[in-house]
Amino acid sequence: MKRFGLQQWLVVLALVLVVSFTGLFAIRTVRRAIYWHHHKDEPIRPWMSLGYIARSHGVPASVLYQALNLPPKTGGPDRRPIREIAREQNRSVDEVIVILQDAIVRARPPYPPPGPPTHPESEPSKGRSP
Amino acid sequence: MSITDQVLSALLVYGLPVLFGVILVCSVGIPFPISLMLVAAGSFVEQGEMKLWQVIAVASVAAILGDQIGYGLSRWGGRRLINRLSRKIGVEENIKQAEALTKRWGGSGIFFSRWLITALGPWVNVASGIAVYPWRRFVLWDVVGEVIWVGLYVGIGYVFSNRVQAIGEILGNLSWVMVGLIVTAILGWQLVRYVRMNEQAG
Repeated sequence: MKRFGLQQWLVVLALVLVVSFTGLFAIRTVRRAIYWHHHKDEPIRPWMSLGYIARSHGVPASVLYQALNLPPKTGGPDRRPIREIAREQNRSVDEVIVILQDAIVRARPPYPPPGPPTHPESEPSKGRSP
Repeated sequence: MSITDQVLSALLVYGLPVLFGVILVCSVGIPFPISLMLVAAGSFVEQGEMKLWQVIAVASVAAILGDQIGYGLSRWGGRRLINRLSRKIGVEENIKQAEALTKRWGGSGIFFSRWLITALGPWVNVASGIAVYPWRRFVLWDVVGEVIWVGLYVGIGYVFSNRVQAIGEILGNLSWVMVGLIVTAILGWQLVRYVRMNEQAG
């Protein structure tokens, strides 16, 4: 059998590169699928509306409006992305994201979180019969 | 802010005109995060912020129109350029073979590059135009493929309306896997054919 010429070796090289490329993206796809399977919350992005963030994180939209001191949504859909809201409120998008994340945590059970720890001496003893 | 954030913000605020414009330029060949955009549009439909029939109609018309621009420019502009170049460098025969191949397999290539391996779509438009693939058949495959593509991605966005970012990321990676598999198959087939030809000759 005739041996491979330059053209065939170039095809082999291209094949190796394409297989590596395909494998890389296949691994990325599987990794992202596994990641999203275990992480229900999407990171909040500047394009998202308050309605979408509320839906995506499973909290009432009113909680997010309240956190940003916005009047509750009335009438038609509020299509403003949070970057628009940040601009209106003279805040950075990152600042708005932090406020929303905090509001989401507080809106979810278990909340309210346990209060500050009491002083050990004043705490009644547990696990002992009186 | 990333281009994805800007495009999706514009889609949310301005709706259909942005959907139309972005899909049109993307179909001509300018790269945009278009899969994510269609998934997001599906999610907005589910949230009642956009209407399903309007999204499907506008996105399909934009995609088909963009494909026609790519095909038309290549057929009437690119054709002359290719003729001149191929005569100069003496590859007229190769060009004719490529044209014959496109005419024979063009239909399935056009159809699958509309919705399954979308990254190749603009290139297939150019190849079809240069190869003078019959326009009516191009339009037929194009319309069927694009309507499937729009329906599929908007449907996925509708079903997973609270996971737009996640689904968009996964679909984006998956479409490159599809491109890789197709190119791997083509290159592998070339090598197998070479080996078989040599075995027969030897």
